[in-house]
Amino acid sequence: MIESVVVAGAGQTAAVAARTLRRRGFDGRLTLVGAEHEAPYQRPPLSKEYLAGEQDRDELCVLTPEWCEANDVELRLGVRAAAIRPGDRSLELADGSSLRGDALLIATGGRPRHLPGVTGDRVRYLRTIADADRLRAELRPGARVVVIGAGFIGCEVASAAIGLGAHVTVIEQAGRPLGHVLGDLMGDVMAALLRTNGVDLRTGEKVEHYAETASGAVVTTGGGTSLEADVVVVGAGMVPNVEPVTGAGIDTAGGVAVDEYCRTGVDGVYAAGDVARQWRPHLGRHVRAEHFDNASTQGMAAAKNILGGKSAHTVPPWFWSDQFGHALQHAGHGDGTDRLVVRGRVEDFDFIAFYLSGGVLRAAFTVDRGGDLAVARQLIAAGAVLDPDVLRDEDADLADLFDALG
Amino acid sequence: MEKQLGRQVGEWVQAATLAEVRRRRRLAVDVAGRPIALFLVGDDVYALDDTCIHKQRSLSKGAVLNGRVICPGHQWVFDPATGQVEGQDECQPSHAVRIADGVVYVDPQPRERT
Repeated sequence: MIESVVVAGAGQTAAVAARTLRRRGFDGRLTLVGAEHEAPYQRPPLSKEYLAGEQDRDELCVLTPEWCEANDVELRLGVRAAAIRPGDRSLELADGSSLRGDALLIATGGRPRHLPGVTGDRVRYLRTIADADRLRAELRPGARVVVIGAGFIGCEVASAAIGLGAHVTVIEQAGRPLGHVLGDLMGDVMAALLRTNGVDLRTGEKVEHYAETASGAVVTTGGGTSLEADVVVVGAGMVPNVEPVTGAGIDTAGGVAVDEYCRTGVDGVYAAGDVARQWRPHLGRHVRAEHFDNASTQGMAAAKNILGGKSAHTVPPWFWSDQFGHALQHAGHGDGTDRLVVRGRVEDFDFIAFYLSGGVLRAAFTVDRGGDLAVARQLIAAGAVLDPDVLRDEDADLADLFDALG
Repeated sequence: MEKQLGRQVGEWVQAATLAEVRRRRRLAVDVAGRPIALFLVGDDVYALDDTCIHKQRSLSKGAVLNGRVICPGHQWVFDPATGQVEGQDECQPSHAVRIADGVVYVDPQPRERT
């Protein structure tokens, strides 16, 4: 019988877990421990509509203090989770106090990966609402913005900055943006999207040197180009916040290892969200995902399992990205696939691309065809074997393929 | 047909032919100046406001799967009959539909939430 749950973390995962626990009738003590001072809020808009100034702070909130009070959820904010003690199933906080729970959920998320040598007053990272507020004020018309790293955060910051009238240069060490997720062909489409919208994209370039003068930052690439900037945004990925779990007998290399039920190797200790490296039975390996949907669905699965359920988290990953007025979405795992089939026109940024492996649909990526992606998600989850000619045929309704699965 | 409770049904407005809804399955129409999305689910026709309450994407560009409407924007899932969002408290405005002589009529006034 679970009578108390302590969640290390107070982001999307923690919020969904708390809501799920209460909805399912858990009426014991429930405490969320957040390092930030904010009540749980959504992060995706921080690099999109919130950064662009199109959304208010209030709209980001996912678990209001009023809801927490009404549902008897204790928010311990502004204090970091320091360490778990598996023996008595307690969580030590950075302020020296500790909380005991019949179940502990590790949902501590991550922090931006810092680039060695790139430090100074003009360097920005984007993870928290405070980061977004600061950057938002600096993306002014005519501002010189250099973005290091053409991942999703880097591309979205570039989009917001262009929209606000800034001059934007993006430096990416790989040959194309997002190639590691989307593959070469779709990476080239992303490069075209950035360049068409006025981004000065420099691929195959590493940052060699960083300095600041009175008039701005100077970013020097391996190719010898020096770029002056008013603000430099580093989007070099994130590091999972595994520190509270290290030394507790749980594998924390590259994330807190959990099974498909979000259970760690220690009884009563669960992990979910950005920090969790989850066993994916269909892939035969652990995967750590850094997406909103993953945070939500893992948080929900963990909560159900804490209450004695047996809810396996096997849904294919899905995420969206808003860039330059286009809605990008991706589902599944495209790595290791052997065939790419496109429906629509990549040159018009209006298409969906299907990633197949031995005829089985494994992943899909779309620009502005979210309806098709909704169907693709189901086809991926079903492991459907599909005819490439039908996939690329604009006149064939994808929903028919789903209905044909029975 | 859903029953309208507590108020008079407004004026029915001709929105599309049934043949067109059957052929297209999802259709954006203008009903008395209001953008509305028609969905064919099985043999039934449902009407929701086309503009998603979440981020203003067009629901008619979404998908119908397992009898539910999915928004193309952020994959929110709606009950086509009531507009209720799955897993959330929000509700997309829904409209009564009447079919007569191969023509789809829609009440431009959304249903009251029950």
